[in-house]
Amino acid sequence: MQKYEKLEKIGEGTYGTVFKGRNRETLEIVALKRVRLDEDDEGVPSSALREICLLKELKNKNIVRLYDVLHSDKKLTLVFEHCDQDLKKYFDSLNGDIDMVICRSFMQQLLKGLAFCHSHNVLHRDLKPQNLLINKNGELKLADFGLARAFGIPVKCYSAEVVTLWYRPPDVLFGAKLYTTSIDMWSAGCIFAELADAGRPLFPGSDVLDQLMRIFRVLGTPSEDTWPGVTHLSDYVALPAFPPISSWSIIVPRLNSKGRDLLQKLLVCRPNLRISAEQALQHPYFTDSSNNHS
Amino acid sequence: MAGNFWQSSHHAQWILDRQDLLRERQADLQVLTEMEYQKIFIFFANFIQVLGEHLKLRQQVIATATVYFKRFYARNSLKNIDPLLLAPTCILLASKVEEFGVISNNRLISACQAVIKNKFNYAYQQEFPYRTNHILECEFFLLENLDCCLIVYQPYRPLLQFIQDIGPDDSLLNLTWRIINDSLRTDVCLLYPPYQIAIACLQIACAMSQKDTASWFAELNVDIDKVQEIAQAIVNLNQLWREWKEKEDIQMLLAKIPKPKPAPQR
Repeated sequence: MQKYEKLEKIGEGTYGTVFKGRNRETLEIVALKRVRLDEDDEGVPSSALREICLLKELKNKNIVRLYDVLHSDKKLTLVFEHCDQDLKKYFDSLNGDIDMVICRSFMQQLLKGLAFCHSHNVLHRDLKPQNLLINKNGELKLADFGLARAFGIPVKCYSAEVVTLWYRPPDVLFGAKLYTTSIDMWSAGCIFAELADAGRPLFPGSDVLDQLMRIFRVLGTPSEDTWPGVTHLSDYVALPAFPPISSWSIIVPRLNSKGRDLLQKLLVCRPNLRISAEQALQHPYFTDSSNNHS
Repeated sequence: MAGNFWQSSHHAQWILDRQDLLRERQADLQVLTEMEYQKIFIFFANFIQVLGEHLKLRQQVIATATVYFKRFYARNSLKNIDPLLLAPTCILLASKVEEFGVISNNRLISACQAVIKNKFNYAYQQEFPYRTNHILECEFFLLENLDCCLIVYQPYRPLLQFIQDIGPDDSLLNLTWRIINDSLRTDVCLLYPPYQIAIACLQIACAMSQKDTASWFAELNVDIDKVQEIAQAIVNLNQLWREWKEKEDIQMLLAKIPKPKPAPQR
């Protein structure tokens, strides 16, 4: 720890406390994530190991960089690239208004980071505004790969913060255990809508049932016809048959028609029909130079 | 994680040079002959395999643990950590990384005790001497020495593709699979990319089962010299293994391993 000076606390992560730090030599500001080694006998927590080994492999502009792993006595400290804020804090600072050019830029960067992860067969599995970091140059980076595990998404974490359901796709809410890249694409869709609406969450459910109802009131309730196999999912519950809403301009009034089209391709209940990150980046919303943001 | 080998830390940091490897081993080779050194690593690869099977781990986890073990000693003398402590630590770390689920330390230690008592009593007369705190401390040290490069690519996945390509053949697949397991007792996992190891093992298996795949091999775009080096290393291993009367000299070999200096008394 000689190399870094610990500054103020930034927050509580999945498996430990995060501090701001400064490299004593270069004066560079970093984020220090202190890994708690619990007394139980797991050793280095697998969530921390997962984050370490994935970030060691994933080096990309839109993925937060792991600089260093420090070992001292009974502590493990992960040294990350420091970003000024996360997307949630950014939303809080907006006062309900966002520049649509920024909205598009953030969405494009989110998809680029995701496309890179997915091309390495890594699923993030817990995308939400708190896990997207933003720096002064308007760069957006995916962070916190620690919560993602192969054996299901945990419903509680070590800190008091409750894991949010808002960005979970209906297949996972219905208990699907087989995760694919489509899980991240749903979350990306929710975040896109939130970006376009200056930080108002699209589906702020309070529990699993409320979450599903909020989704189906917008997209329509799926059936065996629209989504073969849905009724066989382990936690499936029959819900009222809502029709899909007639116009997306009510949901995201400021998003242009190409953006609305992309949003609808992301927010598809049936997971295998969701657009991929690679395809989404080719969507006219990003590629069409005549895009105006009115 | 399947990922991309060419962009991996395995490719960037852990395909070592044979000369470097020999240089790093010089300290140990002052005490042990090259053949003794090799026998010790065969013994511990066997130990990791048996321990892993006892814990009902998948072969992928066992192979990853063995590679961690070999990578550690590629950068360290045997005297830095007792291999009997490092072996179960590698199993613990690999099972977490490969998402096999966490093995509790109690389970790991009782597995070590059982395996030593029932399978390796010809090598160790005393019971397994380490406890949870030793393993957790060792895990830190291991992680650091691996430079946190935890994702290891194995030859099994490329093998499945090659077999698919040649035309499904279960007996060829099983034979090659076993040869890949054997290859973990050589240095090839430190020196060559996994797809080359898979090809070399496949070549040996085809020769053994007299399957004519010459035209398939001829079409491969691969460095044939490297493949031959790998195959030779495995053939040499088999010869050494066959001729080695392990039970007669393992105790002598284990006694000869350079030991850490006893900790200073306070």
